[in-house]
Amino acid sequence: MKRESMWEVYLRKGMNRRSFIKSCVALTSILGLSTDMLSTVVAAAEKNALPVVIWLHGHECTGCDESFLRSATPLTSDVVLNMIALEYSHALSASAGEPFEAHLHEIMEQFKGKYILAVEGAVATADNGIYCMTGGRPFVEVVKEVAKNAAAIIEYGSCATWGGIQAAKPNPTGSVSVTDVVGNKPIVKVPGCPPIPEVMTGVIMHYALFGQLPPLDSEGRPKQFFANRIHDTCYRRPFFDAGMFAEKFDDAGSKAGWCLYKLGCRGPETYNSCGNMRWWNGLSYPIQSGHGCIGCSNPNFWDDAPFYNRLPSYAPIGDIDKVGAAVAGLTVAGVGVHAVASVIQKKKHQADENKPEDKKVD
Amino acid sequence: MKRVVVDPVTRIEGHLRVEVKLDETTGKVEDALSSGTAWRGLELIMNDRDPRDAWAFIQRICGVCTTAHALSSLRAVEDALQIEIPRNANYIRNIMAASQSVQDHVIHFYHLHALDWVSPVSALKADPAATAALQNTILETYKLPFAGPIEFDTNAYPKEFPKSTTVYFKAMQDKIKKIVESGQLGIFAAQWWDHPDYDILPPEVHLMAVAHYLEMLDKQRDIVTSHVVFGGKNPHPHYVVGGMSCSISMNDMNAPVNTERLAVVDRSINTTIDLVNYFYVPDILAIGQLYVQKGYIDGGGLAKERVIGFGDYPEDTFSGTTNGSFHKNLLLRSNGIVENFAQGVEIATFYEFKPEDLSDPDVLNEGVEHSWYKYPDSEGKDLHPWDGVTKANYTGPKEGTKTNWKTLDEEGKYSWLKTPKWRGKMAEVGPLARYIIVYTKMKKGLLPEPTWVEKMIVDQIEAVSKVLNLKPEVWMTTMVGRTAVRGLEAQVHAYIGKYFFDKLVKNIKSGDTAVANMTKWDPSTWPKECKGVGLYEAPRGALSHWVVIKDGKISNYQAVVPTTWNACPRDGKAGHGAYEMAMMDTKVKIADKPLEILKVVRSFDPCMACATHLYNATGKKLRVVTTDPYFGTKTE
Repeated sequence: MKRESMWEVYLRKGMNRRSFIKSCVALTSILGLSTDMLSTVVAAAEKNALPVVIWLHGHECTGCDESFLRSATPLTSDVVLNMIALEYSHALSASAGEPFEAHLHEIMEQFKGKYILAVEGAVATADNGIYCMTGGRPFVEVVKEVAKNAAAIIEYGSCATWGGIQAAKPNPTGSVSVTDVVGNKPIVKVPGCPPIPEVMTGVIMHYALFGQLPPLDSEGRPKQFFANRIHDTCYRRPFFDAGMFAEKFDDAGSKAGWCLYKLGCRGPETYNSCGNMRWWNGLSYPIQSGHGCIGCSNPNFWDDAPFYNRLPSYAPIGDIDKVGAAVAGLTVAGVGVHAVASVIQKKKHQADENKPEDKKVD
Repeated sequence: MKRVVVDPVTRIEGHLRVEVKLDETTGKVEDALSSGTAWRGLELIMNDRDPRDAWAFIQRICGVCTTAHALSSLRAVEDALQIEIPRNANYIRNIMAASQSVQDHVIHFYHLHALDWVSPVSALKADPAATAALQNTILETYKLPFAGPIEFDTNAYPKEFPKSTTVYFKAMQDKIKKIVESGQLGIFAAQWWDHPDYDILPPEVHLMAVAHYLEMLDKQRDIVTSHVVFGGKNPHPHYVVGGMSCSISMNDMNAPVNTERLAVVDRSINTTIDLVNYFYVPDILAIGQLYVQKGYIDGGGLAKERVIGFGDYPEDTFSGTTNGSFHKNLLLRSNGIVENFAQGVEIATFYEFKPEDLSDPDVLNEGVEHSWYKYPDSEGKDLHPWDGVTKANYTGPKEGTKTNWKTLDEEGKYSWLKTPKWRGKMAEVGPLARYIIVYTKMKKGLLPEPTWVEKMIVDQIEAVSKVLNLKPEVWMTTMVGRTAVRGLEAQVHAYIGKYFFDKLVKNIKSGDTAVANMTKWDPSTWPKECKGVGLYEAPRGALSHWVVIKDGKISNYQAVVPTTWNACPRDGKAGHGAYEMAMMDTKVKIADKPLEILKVVRSFDPCMACATHLYNATGKKLRVVTTDPYFGTKTE
């Protein structure tokens, strides 16, 4: 069966060229592409097929679904009705029960090897997976079955990506990431608790427009959204560099918007778009609202709590105060380590550039 | 007799299965079973954590009613540590709570529940001109004129308003037509669109409602903008024990809260009021009336017999919950229990819920007779949440295998939900429960000085009773009533947001900019051992979080959640929970297409991730993950 392109769908739905181009403009900016890429985006949208999406729910809180619904660019209704064919979703699908499960199997057969599997939630594996049953079967079986003939898998949120909160110790249900159970598949990891709405829709549209997964880093995360540490894009960064810190919540430093590093901010080790994209199209993010980042897109971040202990007490690169003092002898300890970290990061980036490691789907 | 299984129940949060025994000749549901089919063990994960982190962990119970669990948790920890939060923090939390309730109710009605009532296929038969006229009539007939107090009305005219032109509805219909004709229905696929219940409403209502489905899909985000300003994001905004992190300063653009930020929140509150007044309330009353006129007044179930509520929206700061301070200045005094409301408010009985009841092991507790858990001592004795233990005891289904169910065992254990009880009895919770309680208290003269919220609730109930020409006890205790009251509550909550916004501004104007009380931030200031409870009226009903803190760490954490009250399995002595009762109070026309069952279950707005518990497992192997932000992650 021939799959329609985004432009064909616009034609079929009686929408004009102007609205099509407008959508492409929105997508170009949301995908983080420069405006001279617009013609490429338009061409891609005219030619490529619409992806069929099957969205499964494991051990989760539906916060990722909710975040997806909050997308403004593109608008959720445009995504769900015009840009993807969302054929199976526990959150939005009209159908339920037996006909719903039958539809899933029809879709899997009809679009074998072509559908995208989006998974929200971790996979409970303890005791044969009986702690997460859906349709009378363990979720672990369902996700393996659907993953088998998926063109690609998107792990939405930190639960699908790393196991999430149910995998925090003592992990009573044996929860693991989707990657851990589905084996060798093209997988995009979109961590965050939840991810930013426009990061979620942006990833799916990249596939819709360009017919391949977005460029990924070594962890499988889309580079355009996860290449920068929040710390490096934070509007409070100048205060860090100047050694101006909030010492406790609601003190003078807090009111003046100074750096939250000493209140436990995980910005220096967290890769996410909160600092540059922010939430609600640039409105705010936790740090702007006065609370340190809790590192919700990091693997196993729940066990990096207490969240109000500042980085040195558990930092993977050692005691930041000591490293900082040793490197530069600075009075503001964090600055030194930050310099070290930046050098390491820079080297890593250079290494990345030299390796053509972007995963692609044919 | 036929056994009908629906699994998965969709358009809900989490994993729910229902089974009904149906008499096909009469359509009567003889028995019904509701099963939560997953648990994640979050309360267990709470053990040994820093209580100041509890809100962040436990908020992840649910991303649909995001913030409800965080706020309840903060109240529990602040109750245990005896922390009084500043005025501004109380106002800000109330604004966030109110906006979350409205957004949750809007998403529920338009995106989780509406497709049980309206169909895109039926919308194709509508006349666009007649739909435009109908939209106009609906606004004129069903717009409720009530409003909360407004100090400074910043909204010059309604910005959010339903389009009621022929061209608009024609464009909408053309769009639906092309989707339907393409055969690629996406989210509309595989539903029983030929079910006779879709003929209850005229085609024009279907077209209007499908149009509003799409409009609301794109607008609901604007309702929770306050979460992004005050808490940095949504879902799952940020808080601190002791208040809020969003410091206020009128001297700095870098400050979390200043005039510009307040303007953003103000705009969102105005939008919310418009959306509820011009879309939600008129839509729900128009659809509700058509159902009631055609005799659909079933699905009440347990609401007829017993409802429970805790009350919420403290007008000002309070020193704790267990000491009774919380209940002394509430804007919404839905605390208490009402029995037999269906027999009329005169006959109905009201019971107080007193602060001392919180610590009494015989008042609120949970049983596991039909849950996949085992109590360590005596199976029969229910446990108070502070002493709550939950040890898994998965027994599998009645027919099928442990990993491939045919039918669950209503005689034995069949759900990951426990069974919460009030004095050994079942009770329904939710917006309907809150409305029944406030209405009963008012009519019985138990609220001699009612707040504006309580007055508005009674005004709404009386206005709708007039429209429907039915007594409150008749229309409220039904599936339609449960859904309609949720819309009424959204209207009240929209104005609660405005009310606390005005209070916040006034308080800042008086010179008070404090948002956090940090005097007990340091664990060295805490008692060696303490207990706390946090009560909260969540979108789905009465919520309570229970925490025990020992040596600066959490030693026990339990949440007794609205969906646990409603979706719980039966109990030999107490009978059935609210879902099961409501299903048994519902007629089914076609056994293979039990749309009515799904509709009545969805009228509760199920939230299963909230409802499931944990067990005290020991000796499970841990997955050790080491994180290095620069060199990647290793899992051992």
